[in-house]
Formats: sequence, C-alpha cells, structure tokens
Amino acid sequence: MRIDYRRSLEKAARQMILIHRPDTLVKLILRAIQRTVKVRHAGMFIYDKSRDAYVVKISRGFSGLKIPSGFAKLNADNPLITYFTDQRLPFDRGSLLWDKIRRLKPLRRDKKTAAFISSLKFNLSLYSARACIPSFCRRELVAVLFLGEKINRKSFVEEEVGFLSVLASDMAMAIKNAWLVEDLNQQLERNKRLLLQVVSALASSIEAKDQYTKGHTERVVDCAMQIARRLKHTVDSQAWSSFTEELKVAALLHDIGKIGIPEVVLNKPDVLSEEERRIIQKHPLIGQSILGHIEGFESVLLGVKYHHERYDGCGYPEGLKGKKIPFVAAIIALADAFDAMTSDRPYRQALSLAETLEEVRRNRGKQFSPIVVDAFLKIYENKDSR
Amino acid sequence: MATVKKKILVVDDENEIVDFLESFLRRFNLNVVKASSGNDALALYDKERPDWVFLDIMMPDRDGISVLKELKKIDARVKVIVITGKEEQAFREKARGFGAIDYITKPLDLGELSQKIKNYIVDED
Repeated sequence: MRIDYRRSLEKAARQMILIHRPDTLVKLILRAIQRTVKVRHAGMFIYDKSRDAYVVKISRGFSGLKIPSGFAKLNADNPLITYFTDQRLPFDRGSLLWDKIRRLKPLRRDKKTAAFISSLKFNLSLYSARACIPSFCRRELVAVLFLGEKINRKSFVEEEVGFLSVLASDMAMAIKNAWLVEDLNQQLERNKRLLLQVVSALASSIEAKDQYTKGHTERVVDCAMQIARRLKHTVDSQAWSSFTEELKVAALLHDIGKIGIPEVVLNKPDVLSEEERRIIQKHPLIGQSILGHIEGFESVLLGVKYHHERYDGCGYPEGLKGKKIPFVAAIIALADAFDAMTSDRPYRQALSLAETLEEVRRNRGKQFSPIVVDAFLKIYENKDSR
Repeated sequence: MATVKKKILVVDDENEIVDFLESFLRRFNLNVVKASSGNDALALYDKERPDWVFLDIMMPDRDGISVLKELKKIDARVKVIVITGKEEQAFREKARGFGAIDYITKPLDLGELSQKIKNYIVDED
C-alpha cells in the first residue's frame, strides 16, 4: 500500500498552524512519522545554546532503542553535526542516510574523508540511527531528526526522505519562533527588574530626606500587596499581573512628591500649623509632576496623585469620592494610613494593632473604601485563626 | 574456556533510562540487572553481586549518596559509576568522596559513554 505523503503533509501543516508550543508540535510530528514511515524509534536533537550541543528533547519508539529525553546529546563538533554544518566537507548537507554512507568508497589517498566517513558510521550505530534529517532555519542548524531502522528493515526511499525533510524544516521554524519568544520574555523580565530597582532607588531618596518615614515605603508596599492578593477575585485575571506590578511601583513612589517639601516642615517634631499642613498636602501633586512625563506610568500616576483621597470625598487634592477614586490609590491610602497609625511620631505614640484595626473598621466607607477595608481585615483574620 | 560475562546493575527511577542503558551495555557483551529504586538496588546487589553498578544520584525514594554508602557496607570493593544531571555538581563531588569510581553527566555523548564502558569494564583486569 502506498502512503499518501501529500495528505500527511497537509495534515501536519494544518496542525502546525494550530499549535504554538514547539514541544507539542514536535511530539505530534514524531508520532505522525512513526505512523507513516514506521520506524523502530525516532528522536529530535534540539540545539541547546548553554551546552553548545544538540540534546534529545523528544523521542519515541521501542523501549531500549528509544533514546530517553534529556539523556543523550551530540556536541557541536560531533561528525553527525558537522556533516551538516561544516561547509568544507565534500557532502551535499542534505539528509544523512546509513545506506548511502555505508556504500561510500572514498579514494584511498583521501585519508581525511575516509576517517570522517568511518567516524560517521560509528556514531550512526552508537545512536542506532539509520537516517538523520537536518532542521535548518535559514542557514542555522536548529535540530536534527534521528530515525532508527524501519520496522520492515528496508531502506528509506527518496519519497520518504523528501517528506521528512519538509517536516524537519517546518519544525525548525516552530522551534526558532519559540526561542525568539523566550528571548523576548527574558528581556522583558530583565527590563522589569531594572525598572523596579530604579524605582526603589528613587523611593529611598525620600527616606533619606524624611527621617520619620524610615522603612515606611517598604511597609506600605508590603501591606498594599497583601491587600491586593485578597482582592484577586475582583481583578480580571489577564490584567492581574500588570495590576500588581503597577500597584507595587505606585506604592514605592507614593510619597516621591515629598522631595519638593521643605525639610523643616517634613521633620517638624510638633503638630503642624494650618499653613504647614497646606504645604505638605501638595506632595501628591508634586509627585504627579515629577512622574508625569513617564510613558506607560498612567496608573502609577493615579496611585501617587490620589493616595490621600478619602472615600467620603473629604480628602485631597481633588476631593474625589467613592468609586471615582482609582483602585490603586484606594489600596495605597489604606496601607499608608495603617503604617502611620502603627508608627510612633514625636507628638504621639503608635496605636496598638487592635486599636488600629478598630480605627480602620470604624472608617469603612468614611475614610476608606469598603472593599479595600474588607480585604485588609482578611489579612488579620487569617493571622488570628492560625 | 569461555569467559564469564560481566554483570552490571543499572539503577535509575526512569524506566526508559534503565532500558536504554540495558540495551546499550548488552552491545558490549555484558549482562544487565535492573533496579528502579534505591531499596531495590540494595536488595539486588546483595543477591546478584554484580561487577559494576550504574547508579542514578537523584531518585525519589532515597538519594543516591545514601545508596552508595549502603552499597559500600554490603561490599567494600563495590565499583560504582554515578549518573548525574548538570545541576547536581555538589552531589557529584560528594559521590566521589564516598568512593564512586567515576560519573557520567546527563545529557551525555554516547561516544563518551561507550569509551567509559570500554575503559572501565570491558578492558578491566
């Protein structure tokens, strides 16, 4: 019975469009190969940059013949690899077939080629491979497809090799794409870490100036993140990670505007006069103007600008009320007030935890957003129950 | 007189690896007994007294180092080649300390594996 390779190819191509994970794709293709070409085992050696080697990532076949995934590799200088990558060698760089290699008879005088061929044979038998099909993406060897002996023990025919070559180069594309995505993600992670480090440095500059808020920023970040975790169900799951990232940055920077407030006012050991209070109340707007030109900081800016608004509309700078107060700002407002209440000030002692919790409860729907208060109280409920 | 085939005990919790090593070792005209856990390995060693042991260092039931120590108690002259992953560098040094003859690191080049089998086992004595 002849196998309809064209149909198999079309089917494989359709699957490729649907599958974005290269592992799944390679698995499916190996299965298809095993079913159509009927080999005793097949494996995909995929390039691993950190090792400069091709490692079996996916394999299938008879037990004992199948090379377990992650168990074996081919170094980049192995003849089974240089056969495809070394352009000085007198081969066509197409598929490497045991039956062809076996019959090759180099000229007696060409000792180098003779040695290379015998080393190819040795390696093919080590890996029980009867055919190696290269997966090139442009000129880069991304992977090598290894096939064992066919179950009917016959040689691979040209039609099969053509079919396998097409599949192998499609796999190369899928693998290469996955690498690109991985690289991009790594870069993104690096950039995020960098941003947080720069933001933390900026935040600590306020603490250098305002002696009463030592450690305050860090505690507010911590408290805000704890509240957020208990509000996870209220945030769209796709937006969750960017929401928490923005909240963290906003919490770190919420008092950045204090840089523009005179130190005599910031560090005054007594209760503030009306005039001094007016000056200090400018810090959210100063913060906004410091950060205002940063692209992509829109919600961070809302958190910084409105973290002194009150749910009942009696806060500053704009007297926003209820749900008009951005969520990020409402969370920081509570975290900020909580830390202020539980810290000593020169003109008053810190409240106890019980007193603070009572104060927060009393201000539910007045100073603080009810949803945020409920989430906040859950932090301590859990601690009590433990 | 025909020489007696050497016997190798292969210990790994991954059956695929045990099976692959078994068929690979058979190419060198070696006998293979298989264990898939540290405890199995100890019982089998005592019973079969193999000439060499291939021992995976990371197994769920007990770590390979403790298996190695126990093997030494059963037979002080036990000859062990340890199988490790790249991430288990510290284990590897420890294994040497506890008397493993050598180690192989996954993923490995089958050429190197074959060289080690020849050097240590086939060309021994």
